[in-house]
Amino acid sequence: MIRLVRAELLKIRSTRMWIGMLVLSAGFALLGLVFLIALAGTEFDGESGIPPVTEPDTVRAFYANASSGVLFMMILGIIGITGEYRHQTITQAFLATPRRGRVLGAKLVSYFLFGLVFGLATVLITVAVAWPALAIKGGSTSLLDHDVPTILGGTVLAMGLYALVGLGLGALIRNQIAAIIVAVAWVQLVEAILTFAVPDVGKWLPAGAVRAITHTTGGFGGPGDLPTLPAWGGVLVLLAYGLAFAAIATATTIRRDIT
Amino acid sequence: MITVEGLFKNFGPVRAVDGMTFTARAGSVTGFLGPNGAGKTTTLRMLLGLVRPTEGKALINGRTFAELEHPAKEVGAALEATGFHPGRSARDHLRVSCMAAGLPMERVDAVLELTGLADAADRRVGGYSLGMRQRLTLATAVLGEPPVLILDEPANGLDPAGIHWLRAMLRHLADIGCTILVSSHVLSEVEQIADHVVIVTRGKVVRDAPLAELVGDKNELRVGVEPPAEGADQEQPGRLAAALENAGGTVRQENDRLYVTGLDAAAVGRAALETQTVLTELTEERSGLEKIFLELTMAELSAPPPSPPPPNGPQIASAETAAANPEAKAAGAETGTAGAETGDSAGSGDEPGSAR
Repeated sequence: MIRLVRAELLKIRSTRMWIGMLVLSAGFALLGLVFLIALAGTEFDGESGIPPVTEPDTVRAFYANASSGVLFMMILGIIGITGEYRHQTITQAFLATPRRGRVLGAKLVSYFLFGLVFGLATVLITVAVAWPALAIKGGSTSLLDHDVPTILGGTVLAMGLYALVGLGLGALIRNQIAAIIVAVAWVQLVEAILTFAVPDVGKWLPAGAVRAITHTTGGFGGPGDLPTLPAWGGVLVLLAYGLAFAAIATATTIRRDIT
Repeated sequence: MITVEGLFKNFGPVRAVDGMTFTARAGSVTGFLGPNGAGKTTTLRMLLGLVRPTEGKALINGRTFAELEHPAKEVGAALEATGFHPGRSARDHLRVSCMAAGLPMERVDAVLELTGLADAADRRVGGYSLGMRQRLTLATAVLGEPPVLILDEPANGLDPAGIHWLRAMLRHLADIGCTILVSSHVLSEVEQIADHVVIVTRGKVVRDAPLAELVGDKNELRVGVEPPAEGADQEQPGRLAAALENAGGTVRQENDRLYVTGLDAAAVGRAALETQTVLTELTEERSGLEKIFLELTMAELSAPPPSPPPPNGPQIASAETAAANPEAKAAGAETGTAGAETGDSAGSGDEPGSAR
């Protein structure tokens, strides 16, 4: 099993797709962060858009912004499995390891690990920008207060788990373009609408779980009133999604004819 | 040893494989022939555990592919030339396969050297030509030095040097006792590589016999005869034809040429001497396998062929088709006859010095 995981990790490393995903996920997080830093404490027509950095919620929002790139982890997972079908490399994978469950298992472990590493990289970049910004603007510079450890740790975990969700979705849909469209539409459209329209359903969705883990309540991290699960609840919900999609990935792949 | 027994596969309402039964023995190259859509690739994929049979068995040394302890060390497979990520180098592709199969990494360099890809190994496969991809497919197949090889159209895209190399390698591997199953629709290639031929149409085996048996009595000689000069004996070509028939051949006349089956070149020469005929051409048509293939597959397909085979007049084709049909039915029972000839007849097309 270890050698299969090593083979999968080499598969990811030996093409340049992961670099693109890392740039996108880190870039997306940075873009949002710069926006937050610029707007924090400024007033529009006498109304404060985002509370100043002295507010704990704003500190949370700065760090929680790191999780905004989870969509790209999902896409990484989707490409990880649909790419095998698209380039017909799945044939070679199953020739080397006819027990398909083991190939899938190795893939799930590898992409989870890769997601964690990406999460770590994104979190480090976020801290590297957010922390000096907070220091300059007079906010809290403690990395231990205001749930910051949970937010950062939760982000890393969420990145890993989203990669699993992507693998499951990709194994189910198999067509790369279709799977990515479904993922983007879900995250940007369906989930957003559901969260807004039926908040009690929204808190059980993956995005709701990320909100719970990262202690944000929606919007620009402002003190919105979206119902949210406790942090540990969010971890469990996300874990359940990850495992459910992993199970889907395995079940749909084991019996399928590879033609 | 590869055993396919009563194999069926349905894709929805389409029956792709319809009761396929044959074996490929160790120490010989078995050609797996059939027109497009005959179920060749599906059968190979069932052997390799990629497609689940609806019914029947597809075994390698008595076990299914999934039951093999070390699949990469037991079976090498080359399925199609497209199974690579275009952004990955050939070396990385082989390293992934090596790692997943638990093979020593030295094998990567060994197979790159063997297939002549060493210089291009670090380039991305996206920039490879069809022939180079095919070499990489073959490199992957022999990574684990397996005693059983299953190759789907392996010569596809190879240049003449590559085909020569492939032929020599397969001959060598068969001679040291490997089991080799090669699918193809290029008949001349099969004629040069295979010892034994399994012909399939519409998911069924229609002929299963040693190559020598298939081509031996069907090889056709094209004989050109100098047209009789004015005032000379106009009956001369007719006399030659009669002499050839007397010698046991079957003769057909077409466009001033005689097409003779059942005789070798020496017998034709003797008949020419006997009848004092000047020959202007004596060519081996080498269409034995092609003739049989077209007869067998056309009998199955109701649609007419896109272009009729050149040497075959329509009447003759239908007459022979009728004769071929009962043979096809009895194909299973015939397996193994004339097996003793197999060894020396198949090696004839190959330069012994080239086998490594």
